[in-house]
Amino acid sequence: MAGDAKMADALTIEGINKVFERTGKPSVEALRDINLSIREGEFVSIVGASGSGKSTLLRIIDGLLPASSGVVRVSGHAVTQPGADRAMVFQQDALLPWKTVIDNVAYGLLIAGTPRRDAHATAQRFIDMAGLKGFEQHYPHQLSGGMRQRVNVARALAVNPKILLLDEPFAALDAQTREIMQTELLNIWQKSGTTVLLITHQIDEAVFLSDRVIVFSARPGSVREEIPIPLPRPRDLELKRHEAFGALVDRIWHLIEHEVRSAVANNRA
Amino acid sequence: MSTAGSLTWRGVYDFLEGRSRAAALLRMLISVAFVLAVWQLIATYLVTNKLLLVPPADVFEALGKEGASGALWTNALATVSAVGAAFPVAVLLGVGIGLALASSRLLALTAGPMLTALNSVPLVALAPLFIAWLGLGFASKFVLVTIFTIFPVLVTTETGLKATDKILIEAARSFNASRWQIFTTVTLPFAVPFIVSGIRVAWARALVAIIIAEFFGSFAGFGYAILAAGQSFDTATLLAYVIMLGMLGLMGSVFFEWLERRLAPWRQE
Ligand SMILES: Nc1ncnc2c1ncn2[C@@H]1O[C@H](COP(=O)(O)OP(=O)(O)OP(=O)(O)O)[C@@H](O)[C@H]1O
Ligand SMILES: [Mg+2]
Repeated sequence: MAGDAKMADALTIEGINKVFERTGKPSVEALRDINLSIREGEFVSIVGASGSGKSTLLRIIDGLLPASSGVVRVSGHAVTQPGADRAMVFQQDALLPWKTVIDNVAYGLLIAGTPRRDAHATAQRFIDMAGLKGFEQHYPHQLSGGMRQRVNVARALAVNPKILLLDEPFAALDAQTREIMQTELLNIWQKSGTTVLLITHQIDEAVFLSDRVIVFSARPGSVREEIPIPLPRPRDLELKRHEAFGALVDRIWHLIEHEVRSAVANNRA
Repeated sequence: MSTAGSLTWRGVYDFLEGRSRAAALLRMLISVAFVLAVWQLIATYLVTNKLLLVPPADVFEALGKEGASGALWTNALATVSAVGAAFPVAVLLGVGIGLALASSRLLALTAGPMLTALNSVPLVALAPLFIAWLGLGFASKFVLVTIFTIFPVLVTTETGLKATDKILIEAARSFNASRWQIFTTVTLPFAVPFIVSGIRVAWARALVAIIIAEFFGSFAGFGYAILAAGQSFDTATLLAYVIMLGMLGLMGSVFFEWLERRLAPWRQE
């Protein structure tokens, strides 16, 4: 399996299972036999019903959570803990409330031992990019939900990761800001050559951004379908009005609808 | 004319409700003046028995007399030096034990229950015992204040350290932070406002403890002076010392509230 052909893969996920054991309660099977490989520089999205284990998979890839079985490899090396090659944006707001915007964005760099001056200079670039110029000295509680989420994204980008793990990063944004951030993300991705794995509930977002969309089945999460997105790049918002775009969104929508229904039925039972 | 009058009144109210330091000071002065006026009225018209209540003017006169004779300063020195020595020690011990409890499960399991039990015993009841052991004066005061004051600091330190948002710790781990880095950049800053509020409670308890220690046995101090004045039915002097105590309490609480706001601005809004 680990032959030469795999070397171009930035990320491989081999037979990942995850069962949460809970004392005194039935265990939860969150992920079942996930197999994926993501090429270097590829942009991949995961869509799926709520509770289908998407965030759990991202935590395992980031090295925050051990899998019950299976291996995650980054550039061929098995992941056992977090590393500088990956950065994650969490589904929840994860900014330090006692640090200003610039200190939050510089956080990963400072932890890695970058001198304060350099860390702040880099942080400033990503603050500008996230459209937060002028808010450097604000505290998170002084920002709107959408602005905070942009700080979260800027903080992950600032450490210049090889693999960017994004867990619904634009969920808190209004439609306009969301589209601006999508375009920004595409720009950054194209310039940096980063590999991106994104979780989203917005199917049009997944199609617009990705080279490939992975549709998860309801719990336990498994890969139900991998859908290549052969739309030309560079992409702009015009693309969303094309027929091919609509057809892809429709197709994924139908796949998910089925899974969401069974997820809802399961939760009722 | 009447519109102008109501306008100026509104201006006064707006100013008083404002956040400026002058407004806060003026609010305080007005409420003090109000209390003094009511007290004076009650003492002149309702409770005229001077054994029970004396008017504020008498109390200030007594205060002046104590100041002139030097008794006030001797007593203040005795009380303040004992609290001033014991309080920082108690805070350091409280934070230290709280840290140990929060970081060692073994310690939390073994020593935790015993400390909880100790905390629920009204420790001031042990005052006569300490005085029997350590004699009258500084040593017994010091020990009693320290022991009585440790607990709120200890409890809030442990609680604060354990209350840290899990997502913040995960984000730090995601950036490959070491355990020490997580402690210094996440857990400890999160706990600081908890600790300060514990210290604020501890300050009030320290004053209770010192007075009780001085009631039971000492040759100087506010508690000693209050007891002596009570025994000679000198209500004016008794109240004068109570006011001094009140000032000590107020100064501490204003200072620690300010500190809390300074250290945790994000908790205000
Ligand atoms: N620490 C945990 N302990 C026990 N069960 C957990 C834990 N974390 C997640 N789960 C369970 O695993 C399942 C998958 O959770 P996960 O957060 O990965 O879903 P998700 O696909 O990200 O959902 P959403 O789209 O709502 O964010 C859920 O049933 C959840 O209850
Ligand atoms: Mg999730």
